Order: sequence, then C-alpha cells, then structure tokens
Amino acid sequence: MARKFRSFLRSCGAAELVSIGILVLAFGIPFLSSSPFIGSLVTQILIAIPAAFSVYVMLRMDLMTFAVPAFMAMGAYSAAIAGLRCGITDTILLAALSFAVPALVALPLGAMVLRLRGVYFVLVTFLLAQITQLVLFETPQFTGGSNGLAGMPATTLFGLALEDNRSVLLLAVGLALVAAIITTALTRHYRQHFAAIKENQVLAESLGLVVWHYKMLGFTIAAGLAGIAGFSLLNMLLTAHPSSFDAMSSVNYIAYAIVGGAGSMLGPVVGSVVLVTATNLFSTRGEYSPGFLGVLILIVVLAMKEGIVGTALRLIRNRARRREFPLAPADMPYLPVAKSTAAAERKAEN
Amino acid sequence: MEGFVSTGLIGVSLGVQYALLALGFTLIFGILGVVNFAHGGFYVFGGYVAYATVHYLRAPYPLAVVVAVLASGALGYVFELFLLERVIEDDLSTLMLTLGLYLVIVTGVLVTFGPESPEFAFPIRGSWRSGGFYFPKENVIMLSVCAATIAAVYLLMYKTDFGRALRAMADDRQVARAQGLRPRLLFPLAFGLATALAGLTGALVTPILCLAPHLADPVLATSFLIVILGGLGSIGGATLAAFIVGIVEAYSSVYLGGSKGALTLFIFVLIMLVIRPSGLFGREVHGA
Repeated sequence: MARKFRSFLRSCGAAELVSIGILVLAFGIPFLSSSPFIGSLVTQILIAIPAAFSVYVMLRMDLMTFAVPAFMAMGAYSAAIAGLRCGITDTILLAALSFAVPALVALPLGAMVLRLRGVYFVLVTFLLAQITQLVLFETPQFTGGSNGLAGMPATTLFGLALEDNRSVLLLAVGLALVAAIITTALTRHYRQHFAAIKENQVLAESLGLVVWHYKMLGFTIAAGLAGIAGFSLLNMLLTAHPSSFDAMSSVNYIAYAIVGGAGSMLGPVVGSVVLVTATNLFSTRGEYSPGFLGVLILIVVLAMKEGIVGTALRLIRNRARRREFPLAPADMPYLPVAKSTAAAERKAEN
Repeated sequence: MEGFVSTGLIGVSLGVQYALLALGFTLIFGILGVVNFAHGGFYVFGGYVAYATVHYLRAPYPLAVVVAVLASGALGYVFELFLLERVIEDDLSTLMLTLGLYLVIVTGVLVTFGPESPEFAFPIRGSWRSGGFYFPKENVIMLSVCAATIAAVYLLMYKTDFGRALRAMADDRQVARAQGLRPRLLFPLAFGLATALAGLTGALVTPILCLAPHLADPVLATSFLIVILGGLGSIGGATLAAFIVGIVEAYSSVYLGGSKGALTLFIFVLIMLVIRPSGLFGREVHGA
C-alpha cells in the first residue's frame, strides 16, 4: 500500500505536487487575514492560475494560444446564462458546465485549427479571440450585448449560499485546485506523448504516435481550464461583460506562464502570483502596469529563457553540483542520467 | 446611387491606408519570419511623434510627418539590431519580444500624453467638388501620399539591388546567405523600413481620423486580417486584400451597421486560414 502510494506520488511529479500543495494551503488564507486588499489580490491570482494553466498545457505541445479569453468568455457566459435564465445556482453544476461548454466547442474548432503550427496557430487563435468578442457584442438577445449579463445570483454549495467575500475566495481556491488536478492528470499521464510532439512532431508521427489525438485532447482540456477561469472571474465580478474577455488580455495569461517558466507546472503558479501581485502593487499608477509586463517579457525572453522557476531550479542544481564536484568547469552540463546509471552499475556489480 | 459611390470612395481611401500599414507587416513577416505584434504600436507612435512635433516644436505638418517616419524607423532599426536579432531563429521568442515592445510603446505613449485623444487636426481643410461628389482635401492629400509611398516601396523592392537582396532573403534565407547576403545588415534595415511605413501611416491618418493610445489594438487586428487574407509575406496580396477589407468595411458599416461586417470578414479569414494558410496570393508556407 505504502509503496503504491509512493509510486503514485512519483508519477505525479514534484512541481505538480508543490503546485497542488500551495493551492491546498491557500484554503487557509481567508482564515488568516480578513483584509479586503489581500482577499481581492488572492482572488485575482486564483483566477489567473487556471488561465495560465491553459496556456501551459498548449505550450507543452509547442503551441502558443491566444484563445484563452475566448474560452474564458464561453465558460463565464454559459454559467451566467444557466444562473440567470435557468436559475441554476449549484456551484458544482455550474463549474462542470463552465468546463464542459468550452471543451465541447473546442472539439470542432480543434479539428480545424490544430492542423496549423507555429505563427499560423498564433494568428488563428488570435482571430478566434477577436471573433468571440464580436459575437458577444452582436448577440444582445442572448448575451446582453454591450451591457453584458449582470445580477448573477449567488452560487450555492450543498444548499449553502456563497455570498460573502470569504466564500468567494474559497470558491476561487477550489476552482484553481480542480484546474491544477486536471492539469496534473493530463500533463503527467501523457508526459511523454506531449514531449514527443514538442520535440519533433514529424518524428513522433513516424514512430506511430497519433499526434492528432493528443493535440486534440490537450486543446480540449486547455479550453475547459480557461472556462473554469472564466467561471471564477464571473464569481468575483458577478457580471459577464465582453470587455473582460478582450483578445489582447491573452497577453497577460501568456506572460504569467512564460515569465513564471513554461518548463514545469509550478511556472504558471509562480508567474501568476508574482505578476498579479506586482500589477496590484502598481495599482495606484495603473497605467504603468502593461509597460512593466512588457519589460518583464523582454527580459525573460532575452536573458532567462526558462522563466523564474526554471532559472531558480538551474541555480539550485548548479550549487548542488558545485558541492559535489568543486573543480568542475562552470559550464559543465548537469547530467542526472549519468549519475543514475553509475548507481545502477554499482548495484549490478554487488 | 450617390451614397453608394461615396461609400465606395470611403472604402478605397480606407484601402489605401490599410495597404500602407499591411505592406510593412507583410515585409517583416516575409523577410524576417516575424509576426510583428508591435505594428499597431508603431502606428500610434508615429501619430504621437507627429503630434508632438507640431504641438510642442511648432513645426509645420509636413516636417512633422518626416520626423515621425524617421523616429519610428529608427526605433524599429534599433529594436531589431539589439533585441530581435538575438533570437531571430525562434518564431515564438520573436513574437514575445514584439509583444513586449508593443506593451512598452503603448504604456510610454499613455504615460507621456495621457489617455485622452489630443487635438491634432490636418492643417488643410475644405473640399473639392465635382459632379455632385465632395472630395475632402485632407483625404485626397493623404491618399496621394500613401499611394506614392506604396509605389515607391514597389520600386524599391523590385527595381533596386537592396530590394532584390531583401526578396532573396524572404525566398530562402540559407541560399541568400550562401550568396554572400548578410542578414545582420539587411534585417535591421528591413524592420526599420517596415516600421517607418507604419509610423508614416500613423502620422498621415491620425489627424484625419483620431489619435489615442488604445488605437493600437484595432490597427493591429486589421493588419492581421489583411495580411492573412492576402497571404503572409506576399506584397501584392497584401495590397489587394487591403482594398477588399477597406471596401467591405465601408459598405458593411454604412448598410449593415455595427460590427457585423467585421465579424463576417473575421470568420471568412479564419476559414481561409484553415483551408488555405497561404492566403489568396501567398506562394509558399513554411512551418504551417
């Protein structure tokens, strides 16, 4: 039993476990602090995290998506319409709906757009985000047009109404946690499939991997994750408005994933925490925050490719290696594989 | 009938300015393989530089346009030479860099000049009249300058050694390099040329329409649309697609109202991008 549990933990991966652990600990925040500033900041971070996961999942397949706001809008509007028109207030049902609707829409869309790669995929997803916003404006009888949908009733969990700030925050934590678990399950279970697609899609295909299948799966789940972020945003604002889902806002979610580090799942979490906090600290001078984000993007792309998490991990590894081989040249590559084979050989000798 | 023809004229004048904008965008993609997210930023930058030159230095408007062209060209040149050049082989990194530059430009403009649109008007007013049609003088001047510039870009690209070198770069970077063409010299020049075109469009068009920091987004979206429709990297395709988009936009906003025309165009372009990523006139697609 213990061994089974340990192998389960290993298959989850360290970064994933740390991410989930951070989100579980976040449940404690509303009980530690009642400051409205902290509450609003943490809620914003928790909305950003599932959206950044959506970017992260697509980056695992070497695809950069600008469609996050589009799927967020689908998630938020389907929950808002279900709440306002059909009177559904059950949180679990609404969350499932906000995941399922974008994921279902992503199926036919994916069949169309996943044939494209590189900049063409970027362009097509950017157009998708633009089109979604225009559709929201042009269908007022359904989505409220430029007025949006306001007056969303408070959601309920097992019959309890979630009305005050604390329960809104707890709900955001719960949604982010669900998103983290889904992301972990997907990226760990299909780790090698995604890695093969990222490294060399043609080679992966020729080796018998049905690339199309896994890209579709990734795209659908990424859409659902963005939908969860949309539902979380709806819960904070209690209105669904087209301006919340501007096509250019996808830049923020991409920045969270890339500045944090797209190499591990901890990256989007750290990126969301750092960048949303920084934007909030700048809030008295809000007009500077896009420029700040821009400068950070420039720095990360030019100087620290692996983002905050990747760079930090590399520095830690370098230090560990320095202790192990004090005379090794500074640019010696770190090869954990070599070490483990050496250990295996020693084992075989004994 | 008169309304129909005037709408057509509006469409053509939109088309000319879009063509100038899209030319720069398509040059950057064709030659460098970079999707320039900062293109709308350069448009706004050009407009504000012209405004500042007229407003603070009391310079005449034509001189302000020249200053705007030089400033946006120089900014593009320096950006390519020192930043973009380092990651030029990686599509997604170049894309992120131009995004970062876009955010920096828009924030810089917003912080310096404030969010309200400043009063910036074309110096010549009035209109010519012929056969029941009015031709506003400012539009006619803007159109002729744009058309002349487009012609000049064509001459540059097809009749000079510099243009031939750039087109060779666009055709096949490896072969062009083997022939002795130097990307480190040509790429910054090409990028600077293209951003200068965006700055020129901004300096010419913003006094007629309007000048505000948030204009960068719709301008970028329109350039995207045109360049995809015409075929990424194709110069002729972008010019023709600009007129299609301009005319469709004019008629749909007069006869349909709202953003239905834009929506139709976007969906049309989306479908085209999926069926035929090379666009209407693009020849080859790398990496699609």
